[in-house]
Amino acid sequence: MKILHILRSEPDETVERLIGGMYEQDDETTVKSLYKKEIDWERLVDDIFSHEKIVCWW
Amino acid sequence: MKKVCVVIRDIAQQYEGLRTSLGALLDAVEIQMFVLNHEIAEMDEAFQDNMEFLDEMEGERFSNNSANVEKYGFRHVTLKQTAEYLKAADVIIPF
Amino acid sequence: MSEKMGILVATDRHLDHVISLTRAARAKGKTIEIFFTGTGVALTQQKAFADLVGKARLSVCDVSFRAMGLSGDVPGVGFKDFATQARNAEMINECDRYVVF
Repeated sequence: MKILHILRSEPDETVERLIGGMYEQDDETTVKSLYKKEIDWERLVDDIFSHEKIVCWW
Repeated sequence: MKKVCVVIRDIAQQYEGLRTSLGALLDAVEIQMFVLNHEIAEMDEAFQDNMEFLDEMEGERFSNNSANVEKYGFRHVTLKQTAEYLKAADVIIPF
Repeated sequence: MSEKMGILVATDRHLDHVISLTRAARAKGKTIEIFFTGTGVALTQQKAFADLVGKARLSVCDVSFRAMGLSGDVPGVGFKDFATQARNAEMINECDRYVVF
């Protein structure tokens, strides 16, 4: 499964454990951090539509 | 029917998360609501009523907080189990 | 028919992100729906909110709007778009992708 994790803020232990717990062998996982300065929004749109599951963490 | 997980971690968003869960249930969405890390801060009449309505509408509610399990009838879940539910959902809504 | 993205805005912290994502998605030919609820409805009072008009179908949770003591017109939000949580549920069911801010 292709999973996109969007981080709205720096992940804490809860988020890291949830992301880790969602991972299974053969998954393709992408992480995008929105709390960093440079965000390629068009690339993010492509990522959103090319992944099967999107999670926008806190 | 889409399966939706509402994951509530922010104490100030507990009621809003419940409202969103209920609203989604009314449009034939399957709901699993998770209250993580914190006890329900304000178990007032409105929260209680809406929680009972969620139960009647066959929404499911889980928590990793033992007080929520013992006092309010949430099903206990670990973070690892929560992640497994999230993996199986179509839509995940963090609050 | 173009792909559709739903955006749930349930906090008052990310209007700049919502605008940037909407603009980029629109540029790529996507259809966008946005539902503002909870403290997210406070964003309707910011000047930059008008940047969303014409780029997405905008809806506001009427209960949240009134609970925050807000009133009056909101740019791009018609009478029927002051909606219940059912609008969010419709968005969940209708959209190809769903993101949360």
